[in-house]
Amino acid sequence: MSPEKKARLTEAAAQVVLQASREGRLTTQEDVLEALAAGGSFHQTEGQADADDIRQTPTEEAAAAALAGVLAGHPGIASFQGLSGETLYHAPDLLSRTFARILDRKDSPLLLMAEEIRTNSRDYPRPVPVELFEAPPFDLAPEEIGHVLQAMATDPDYQDISFTTAPTGAVYLFSTLHLERGYAAFLALRAESLSANP
Amino acid sequence: MTRTDGGFAGKVLRVDLSTGKTSTQDTREKYGAVLGGTGLGYQVLWEEVPPGTGPFDLGNKLIFATGVLAGTSVPCNGRTAITTIFPSCWPKALVGSGHMGGQFAAKLKYAGYDAVIVEGRAERPVWLFIRDGRVELRDASRLWGSGIHRATLEISQEMGADCCVAAIGQAGEKLAPLATVVNSLSHSAGGVGGVMGAKNLKAIGVQGSGGLRIAGDKEQWERLIKFHLSILGANNQHVVPSFPTPQSEYYNPGSRWVGQPGKRWGAADPPVEITGSIHDMNRISYRTNSAAFFLGEQAWKHTVRGNGCTACPIRCHTTLKVPAMATKYGTREIAQGTCIALNFGQFFFPTLPGGPKGQAALEACMLGMDMADDMGIWSNYGQIQRDFIKLAKDGVFKAKLGSAEYASIPWDKWRAGDPAFLQDLIPRIGERRGELGLVLSEGSGGPFGHWGISEETWEADHGTLYWKMGHPKHHANEDDGQCGVIINTQYNRDAQCHSHTNFVRNGLPLAEQKRLAGELWGSPDSVDSPGHYTRMNKHKAQRARWALVRKELHDCLGVCNWMGPWVASPLKERGYRGDNSLESRLYSLATGHTLDREGLDRVGMRVFTLHRALTMRDMGVLDMRAKHDLVPRWVYEDSSGAQPFTPGTIRMDRDDMALAMEMFYETMGWDKATGAPTGETYDRLGLAEVGKGMAARQLVPETRHEP
Amino acid sequence: MKPGKHPELIRLAASAAGMDATLSRRGFLMLSACAVTSLTALGLCEALGAGAPLVILDNAQGMILADPSRCVGCQRCELACTEFNDGRAQPSLSRIKISRAMNFGLDGPTGGPAMQGTWGNGLVVQSVCRQCPHPVPCATACPENAIQADPKTGARVVDAKRCVGCRLCQRACPWDMITFDEDRQKASKCFLCNGNPKCVEACPSGALRFVPWRDITREGRAGGATLSALPAAKAKACVDCHVPSGRKPTRR
Repeated sequence: MSPEKKARLTEAAAQVVLQASREGRLTTQEDVLEALAAGGSFHQTEGQADADDIRQTPTEEAAAAALAGVLAGHPGIASFQGLSGETLYHAPDLLSRTFARILDRKDSPLLLMAEEIRTNSRDYPRPVPVELFEAPPFDLAPEEIGHVLQAMATDPDYQDISFTTAPTGAVYLFSTLHLERGYAAFLALRAESLSANP
Repeated sequence: MTRTDGGFAGKVLRVDLSTGKTSTQDTREKYGAVLGGTGLGYQVLWEEVPPGTGPFDLGNKLIFATGVLAGTSVPCNGRTAITTIFPSCWPKALVGSGHMGGQFAAKLKYAGYDAVIVEGRAERPVWLFIRDGRVELRDASRLWGSGIHRATLEISQEMGADCCVAAIGQAGEKLAPLATVVNSLSHSAGGVGGVMGAKNLKAIGVQGSGGLRIAGDKEQWERLIKFHLSILGANNQHVVPSFPTPQSEYYNPGSRWVGQPGKRWGAADPPVEITGSIHDMNRISYRTNSAAFFLGEQAWKHTVRGNGCTACPIRCHTTLKVPAMATKYGTREIAQGTCIALNFGQFFFPTLPGGPKGQAALEACMLGMDMADDMGIWSNYGQIQRDFIKLAKDGVFKAKLGSAEYASIPWDKWRAGDPAFLQDLIPRIGERRGELGLVLSEGSGGPFGHWGISEETWEADHGTLYWKMGHPKHHANEDDGQCGVIINTQYNRDAQCHSHTNFVRNGLPLAEQKRLAGELWGSPDSVDSPGHYTRMNKHKAQRARWALVRKELHDCLGVCNWMGPWVASPLKERGYRGDNSLESRLYSLATGHTLDREGLDRVGMRVFTLHRALTMRDMGVLDMRAKHDLVPRWVYEDSSGAQPFTPGTIRMDRDDMALAMEMFYETMGWDKATGAPTGETYDRLGLAEVGKGMAARQLVPETRHEP
Repeated sequence: MKPGKHPELIRLAASAAGMDATLSRRGFLMLSACAVTSLTALGLCEALGAGAPLVILDNAQGMILADPSRCVGCQRCELACTEFNDGRAQPSLSRIKISRAMNFGLDGPTGGPAMQGTWGNGLVVQSVCRQCPHPVPCATACPENAIQADPKTGARVVDAKRCVGCRLCQRACPWDMITFDEDRQKASKCFLCNGNPKCVEACPSGALRFVPWRDITREGRAGGATLSALPAAKAKACVDCHVPSGRKPTRR
């Protein structure tokens, strides 16, 4: 593919990803190709010169082959391997990496919760209130959350996920991989008492 | 005042209430070395108020002082410090300041004054009229006995709707040590109202058509102001929202940045939806909702809008409308407040039906805000409520109040968590009625002094949160380990320092905080995770020094230490950095007098050291370490027996804290043994005359500090 | 051009001012009696001769719209107006006005349930220049033609070089929106910051918008006393006092 074609393809593909990110969506390569095709960005056959030489657009096949490389090279675009195994693209300045991963796991409540609990326990570090998962963007119903916690309790891969109950009755979830139980309990109580410590 | 001194109004107003005479001084000539604010207050006390002066004595002075940046468009300005011999400081009253925001600071400066020094005592109640160059003492006899709401209304009728009134209520009139001065409805300065009352000064009404010159190039100024706005977070400079959002990598459920798209100001008419980018400069005011932070989700439907100090986009006060208040209690449907003042009402109850975020809590807070800020009652940062609960539960009220008074109190309502209880209790305190009203309105020193309760019993009870000298902790080891403890030892009232806690609670993950801390204070080890403290090191001492010096500087500049310093930011593209030199950049451009960060921090250090000297002089004490920089025993205890430096405890270690104090003294240029500033330090900081005065009193340590 | 203006000119001018539909006989007479403003697009100025009194007919293209239900009373708009335009933090000179109504609303400290502002129901009603259509009270009152329509934005702008500090414009504005700088002895008013109003940019709650102009002069309450028709002798007496501030009055 000529440099001009590649540049145009890169720009067009990036715009698709950026727009999707603006709208809060992740993008697959297929999404990009569909959008570009719908936008008339491809030619039917390779090598057929146009009357207008400025329209340097590739065929869909050529674009598909080049797409991964083109997007990987774009500084404003990040990618990761989603749960489905597909590569997912987003613009981190419009759709943060954290949020992108939450979106990817939306259909898998167990993974959604587990990863969030583990990340919070590791990075901040802190346990998370169970209500977090009822609120957007998780939007899980209390029953769903209950099922997930039950499933985790018996699944060997999730034995690290645990909970602590603050004296107020609030339940906080944490991962023992990253937080000791005593410390998690302390942090849960601290979180509950922040509004009493103005 | 030279032409280059932009930012300043230029004059300090002196009002002698005994003679009725007023005079002015040039701000920069007389007080330039201490800038303004608390610095100006401390200098006046040092020069003019002898040790041994009591808070309500004729010789005490009340110094309302704002700072050079107040009244400009610097974000988060509008602060006035009111410095005096502080009434609630127990057992011996010493220098202290109350702070208030609102519009008073700006209006005072537009009237042409950087400060007002109130001296003497009027024969009859008066109020102070200030309109530009015209200063008068007017008769306040018709206002005496009225609350702050009415006093403000009537003075505004006389002066004009755009005036700003700082007034005392009944509590200040009756010389309650826990009395406030209030301006702009909900902006209260703690502890100083009684001094005004003792001087028969009901209020100061100020109105001005003047302005402040910005010395620097106006386009450069505009760029700097916009830069400052761009690095703002939400209240307390929390730089991470409380909700996961595509617009941020990080979130923190405990953050005060609660304005999530999808929420709304439900009591605005019609409601105002929060939409758009959370980083939008035209949406900064939607980030913070203090009522929602403290009272839960229910507060959104009662939120009319945010409110706050002049020029501050954060709006940390929430204006709430709760129709039930009129029908259930016969009170106003609208009240406003933030933080501890917002919670004034609910903190009196050990339990409330529905809990701290339920309807009863909301109603109690509405009552508390309205009544406390009308009668002008200070909570002593929540201590009056904790003292009340303890005194009730320990049976002290029953023993000490006398059977008639005790029986007259509707205890059943208190036990039931009925907010109507406050309609009986708060006026007792505000009017200092009965033994309960009289004693409780003194602060913790009240029960200690009147009822023979030992301070030790308060220190031993972890629930009191009592620190020393009649006041509680204020962001101590529960937030910030050794730094927090050091900070809490330094003042004569609760520390009111937020430099440190704004950083440790900013919501960034620990690794990011440590990275920033390394840049700011020399090592990532200067910051720990809360409740997982590590041993003391010199970087923590440097951070404690930075926190205190910068807070003092803010109090001299008229900017808000509940927001600043701005050393972290929400901006990923800046690596979440703020700007540690922001204050000096603003100062230099506003005044035309260039000072870099070290230069301006040196002024903060000078002022803080002056506070130290003043305290030592008035205590007559050299060994501050033993006599003043006290730490209550509960700091060294943990009820479950956890050891210091293990995860999950805020318990500190005595030897480690001893080392911490030494390291702190060393970084301050103070004698390690006594915590007393050395002569060399006084000289180095431009306080040579103070040093001489201290030496004459044998209050300068013999050992010289090696820098 | 002979006196008694060319009818075609007047129709053109009226059309430019959006007055076609309303141009009554009285309006026709009014237009024919005075000169047309600097309608540069129509190239009329030169045709009418120098020294003619200036009458603004064009409307402004944009205006600032203020929403009280979003105002948080921070005064950043007032401070942006004066600091970024004039290098001074001086809300009394701000061309958008918040301070007057912030505490108690436009009706002032009445007390009672209808009171607005921080001490009332919380609503802060901002005062914004309406960039009045013809007749523009401030411009009409100015004896020096110092208030003119900005060619780019149509904002009614005080030309400080022409202003002599007589304050007649201040008296003429039904909403008391003219500021008078005592230090400089000059009037000033909202000039829309050349199409990018700084107050709108500064507002942290989005309470201000810069929108296409429309006539809002019949909405909201006017504040302050205004004079409409004056007996000629009284009008002469007015200018005895409302003199240029550097000079003594020439008549007594």
